[in-house]
Amino acid sequence: MSAQLELPTVAPFFADKPDLLVEILGRYPDYGRRSALMPLLWEVQRAERHVGEARIAEIADILGLRATEVKGVMSFYSTYHEHPVGAYHLQICATLSCSLAGADELYDYLSEETGVVNGETDREGRFSIQKVECLGSCGSAPVLQINDDYYERVTRSRCAALLEAMRADRLEAPWRERSGDTDVADPVAARADGSPSGTGGAP
Amino acid sequence: MSDAVADRPKPIVSRFDPRFEVTLYRHVGVAGSHTLPYYREHGGYEAAKRALTTSPSAVIDEVKTSGLRGRGGAGFPTGIKWSFMPPADERQRFIVCNADESEPGSFKDRYFMEDDPHQVIEGMIIAGFAIGATRGVLYVRGEYYLAYERLREAIAACHAEGILGRGVLGSSFDFDIILHRGAGAYICGEETALMNSFEGLRANPRLKPPFPAQAGVYGLPSTINNVETFASVVHIMAKGGAWYAAMGTDDSKGTKLYQVSGPVARPGVYELPMGATFRELIFDLAGGPTMPAKAFIPGGSSTPMLPWTDETLDLPMDYGSMAKAGTMLGTGGVIVIPEAKCMVDAIYNIVRFYAHESCGKCTPCREGVATWLPKMYQKLLAGLGTREDLVVMEDMVRNMRGTAFCPLADACAMPVQASFKYFRHEYEHLVDHGEPLHARRDWWSA
Amino acid sequence: MKVTVNDVEVDLAPGTSAIDAVFAAGYDVPYFCSQEYMSPVGACRMCLAKVGAPRKDRDGNWILDDETGERTIFAFPALLATCTSALSEGMVIDTLSEEVKHAQNGMIEFTLINHPLDCPVCDKGGACELQDRSYEYGSGRSRFEFTKRHQEKHHPLSDLITLDRERCIHCKRCVRYFEEVPGDEVLDFIDRGGHTYIGTVEHGLPSNFTGNITDICPVGALLDATSRFRGRNWEYDHTASVSLDDASGSAVVVDARTGRIERIKAGLHPEVNKSWIDDGIRFGHEYTADPERITRPLLRKDGELVEVPWPEAAAFVAERLKEFSGKDVGVCIRADATLEEGVAALALAEHLGTGQVDHAPRYGPTVMPPAQATLQELAVSDAIFVVGDVSEEVPAVDLRIKDALRGVTPPPLLPHGVPIADLRLKERMPRKREILCVAAPYRVDLMRHAGTVARYDVGGEETLFRGLIAIAEGGSADERVLGMTLAAAKAFVDRLRAAKKAVIVTGGFVLSSQAAADAAERFARAVGARQLVLGPMANAYGLEAIGVLPSHARYDYASMVAGGAKALLISNLDPAADPAVAERLAESRLLVVHDMFMTATARLAHVVLPAKSGFEKDGTVVNLEGRFMPVRAAPVDAGEAVDVTGLVRELGLAFGVRIEGRSVRSARRSLRKTLGTDLEELTGLGAFVALPRRRVAVSVAARPGVRGRALRVPTMVRQEYLLRNPHLLATLGGPALRLHPDDARTRALSHDDEVTVRVDGVPRRLRVYVTDAMPSGVVSVPALPDAPAGPADVDLDGIVVERRRLEVA
Repeated sequence: MSAQLELPTVAPFFADKPDLLVEILGRYPDYGRRSALMPLLWEVQRAERHVGEARIAEIADILGLRATEVKGVMSFYSTYHEHPVGAYHLQICATLSCSLAGADELYDYLSEETGVVNGETDREGRFSIQKVECLGSCGSAPVLQINDDYYERVTRSRCAALLEAMRADRLEAPWRERSGDTDVADPVAARADGSPSGTGGAP
Repeated sequence: MSDAVADRPKPIVSRFDPRFEVTLYRHVGVAGSHTLPYYREHGGYEAAKRALTTSPSAVIDEVKTSGLRGRGGAGFPTGIKWSFMPPADERQRFIVCNADESEPGSFKDRYFMEDDPHQVIEGMIIAGFAIGATRGVLYVRGEYYLAYERLREAIAACHAEGILGRGVLGSSFDFDIILHRGAGAYICGEETALMNSFEGLRANPRLKPPFPAQAGVYGLPSTINNVETFASVVHIMAKGGAWYAAMGTDDSKGTKLYQVSGPVARPGVYELPMGATFRELIFDLAGGPTMPAKAFIPGGSSTPMLPWTDETLDLPMDYGSMAKAGTMLGTGGVIVIPEAKCMVDAIYNIVRFYAHESCGKCTPCREGVATWLPKMYQKLLAGLGTREDLVVMEDMVRNMRGTAFCPLADACAMPVQASFKYFRHEYEHLVDHGEPLHARRDWWSA
Repeated sequence: MKVTVNDVEVDLAPGTSAIDAVFAAGYDVPYFCSQEYMSPVGACRMCLAKVGAPRKDRDGNWILDDETGERTIFAFPALLATCTSALSEGMVIDTLSEEVKHAQNGMIEFTLINHPLDCPVCDKGGACELQDRSYEYGSGRSRFEFTKRHQEKHHPLSDLITLDRERCIHCKRCVRYFEEVPGDEVLDFIDRGGHTYIGTVEHGLPSNFTGNITDICPVGALLDATSRFRGRNWEYDHTASVSLDDASGSAVVVDARTGRIERIKAGLHPEVNKSWIDDGIRFGHEYTADPERITRPLLRKDGELVEVPWPEAAAFVAERLKEFSGKDVGVCIRADATLEEGVAALALAEHLGTGQVDHAPRYGPTVMPPAQATLQELAVSDAIFVVGDVSEEVPAVDLRIKDALRGVTPPPLLPHGVPIADLRLKERMPRKREILCVAAPYRVDLMRHAGTVARYDVGGEETLFRGLIAIAEGGSADERVLGMTLAAAKAFVDRLRAAKKAVIVTGGFVLSSQAAADAAERFARAVGARQLVLGPMANAYGLEAIGVLPSHARYDYASMVAGGAKALLISNLDPAADPAVAERLAESRLLVVHDMFMTATARLAHVVLPAKSGFEKDGTVVNLEGRFMPVRAAPVDAGEAVDVTGLVRELGLAFGVRIEGRSVRSARRSLRKTLGTDLEELTGLGAFVALPRRRVAVSVAARPGVRGRALRVPTMVRQEYLLRNPHLLATLGGPALRLHPDDARTRALSHDDEVTVRVDGVPRRLRVYVTDAMPSGVVSVPALPDAPAGPADVDLDGIVVERRRLEVA
């Protein structure tokens, strides 16, 4: 409790979003107010690509918690970031099925191309790379998660194309991979949206 | 007695039995299948409507008749689990859907939620009615953003159509679902860790007892089931428990989703009656391996692997057969391990996964799984290991078995022990020669 | 419930944990995460044992072994953590088999792989649970050959507690402690898995109870910063005593080395403080080793105080006292003096023939309520009404209230003491906030835990209680007076009345007004509640009980120093801090001051006699519940300092008479006659002694307080010694003038400005503390022994800023 230094003041994140706050808090029963902790962290992170100290304190205030509790919870989960990630946060699944489909090589390639390694963000704030564990895309491995979207069965050529699109800020929505019983009898009729088929696909 | 057996129709244990039809997964992969109009066009919410006209105990009885066992991995009989709920009192009760699918090799639940979210919601309505819960919690793993969005839309559509909220489907039953998004923690697949996470706490597993039925979400009576379990309940209510029980083996009834990954011709999710063989799944459906295989993991990374032999491939995929073979059915996520993959490296990959996902609460997991064991593998793979190290590793893993607070340490220890059992020679080769039996190679396709 | 541990059968209550059965049977298992009075969590996995139990068949009959006819014991498939396993009838627990030993050895090995083994330089060495258990259960060698986890080794969690992150074994005792005991989660695990560490982002652990984590840390990860690197455990003399810091009677262990107090640890008293003490008690000892301490008698010669031998000082006093008629002499001791010192003071006064004898601080109203509650009763109470800031005044009471909020009755004691794993305790138990109502003239910490909160006006205690009495009698009251809505007040009054074990807790704010204290007592009677009155100091209860009181209202302490006594003997009080009093005292014909430091009063004295601190004397105090508790002297080098009994002994020698109370034994002989109890026989837990209730016939002259503006408030940290307690001083920044941000703005004051301001005419140097806990227009200053809690007059218009706070460019 020594002299308090003036920190640059940041406008509270939720101050101008009362409806959002009410909606999030309203999802949970009164006695479960603390459940709103993770959704609040998500809101901040989606907007700011990380959750900084001031936001942690703000969320603690909203929920009547200590900032330490918020930090303790946030740091437990691997997808909340303390420091800003890139505009394209590249998450490469490194677990067994993806590894057997070339995830390690995929990581090496992306790292070399972007110049950043696991856990880093580049100087421009464009790319950041995170090695992650199983994303549940084992049947369409290897998977590259770019921000919230899964890009599956990322072959060498697909990866090069993705990278080019990101550099040009023209990344398109992901194609859909489905395999197994989801290859329905009439793929043409079923996939009227014209998305690429996930049929077959062997390494 | 023998007459009775003779009279009983032969159970359906093969996908190619003409009586079998794809049920759970028939809409997955179809464009637009996630919308409410599509779902209703295909008979959606009829099972819930029917269930709501009966009684909770009738629903539970039907589920008991079906022989359905939990599809999250442990295989606990669902009907029995539901009947553990204490007698109704003034307390709120919860039905919880564990959609934190994160066991390596498992990806069935994601497809469900992305392409057929209403099936999950319908299952939750039926289960909620059965256990007297007017609130549901649907906990989706954080990385499944599309699934989360699809579920959000689906729940909103249900509200608009009177399927959720006051008086579900015109009945007197009120039911609502809280959709909650995780943020990257495998441990949340453990039911009590999930509850802590939902409550805004660090996702450490809780002490049991009390079990969720006594004190679950917010300390209130709760029942938690896996996504596929809820989907199964829909069809059990639609077609009857007896229909379901006609599929599968004595201890494993019904139809189940299996996943195949690794180097096979057609990796993916396949629906088979329980008791079908690995051979049917891997060869007849998934097209067989695309390169020589030496082992397969039967049900997600935590289940002990089996060597690639005629005997193991012909094992029926049911709970009992798996236990007899010294492994587990788990989530049904089969990973084929090719001959060319260094087994030590493959197991290190799994160990690293559990090390990353250890919550840190208890000593054997935090220090063994998350710290020491991966270091030993790194040493081995760097060509610096000795035979002594193998002895130390085996003893360390023994100390991790059955000593930890939750099953995560066992989940890490079991595949390691299996690899020592079947592929000790690869470890020995590595420590004796300083390099693996199978050299590292480029697995990435063009 | 009969269970078998190895070869011993024990009979224990259902619900007992298996680990307690093991200890009750006289066996041992290692454990790091379990901690008495906290929830068992099963995290360290050290207490594994092989457990089996008989089963019943469907008809409810035990399944018997075909051959032996005995109950078949079904072993659990895996080893069980005994701390989280409840006993069942006929359970068989094996702690000795090879399988168990192997597992325990394995857990020790796991625990040690990231532990630095820097025992030779670790303060915990010799008292470390991990060290002991490694010797007892480890193999003595490690197979871990990699670099251990490197983390911060000197992380200041606060100014008072240093964390060595490498030594931490993640038992979670400290993290659980904050959630479970004070109910304030200022410490948590950060990150997960092998990267987990404990940390805070609260900038200095804002809680009054942080030091307890240094006691419960099983390793040397959490250390008391006042004692770090000051000694090894085996070098310390451990003296089990009672804290004289406040009226709680908290058990403490005083650790001293080479004549110096190095640290205070919590002692165990299951009925008082359990095993917790507040930070004021724990860290407030450094003043005893202050280099400015007076260690020899001082006699004024040629205007200067010079050191003289005791006989010379005593002879001087005795000689000078002959000049006075007895009634002109005043004797006053501080309210944390022991009973024995009280006897000595009374005997001295009697010898001198004066009725001018008193203890201070002392309020007019009694601290001995007619329906006395105990702390154990408070801890199981079903309705608690608190007026004031107990978390600062007697913090132990705060924790016992939180026991009541958790709703778990105190555990029964087992053969080995407090249960190691009380399975009734859980993490994050719901708190019964609704049973607690806290009223104060400003926001106090305990309000965060209360279902009902009332903020009444400064000095409004009497009207508050009168309002509540009116409600209790079916009437109504003004919401402004109540500080809460009428509905809330009615609901809580109803709750108090319906409660079986209601307790009303009041402190200095109520004691500072006779009318308020009377109203509180009437209200307690009206709702059938017991009372706990927080006296101003450690032995206010006892000194009142044995009558260390003036024989007439005119003879009280305030009158003495106002000129009523021509000769004064004052122990540990500093009336001359008030310049007006100083002026008068400067003219007194004989001023004898018994103190540890050269106070303003001592500077005026003719004779200054060195005083012992509360850690250095033997004696007895009576805590706020009326419990007689033994105080024991730690081996501290205090020079020629004496307590009041010693002072009386020296004077008696000079007088040539044997005065009663000339020693602790002599005082106790005297007390045995009046109390009918021999205090020599008092055990560490203390005892209740039936006391003749005496209504205090005299009242202290109330200082003129200006209502509605300012308060002297109780503080956990003793303000008279704050400046000599460097670690506490660093934490608090200094004695605080607390005011609302609006008031700070109006007066152009900033947080941390150092100011001088007159409080009741006494200039005090304070640090500005801006907080919205104070209502706008109200300021508070810390109470002192000579200026106890109550309404005050603070001259804000005459405030002088001595030093602006550090400005950031």
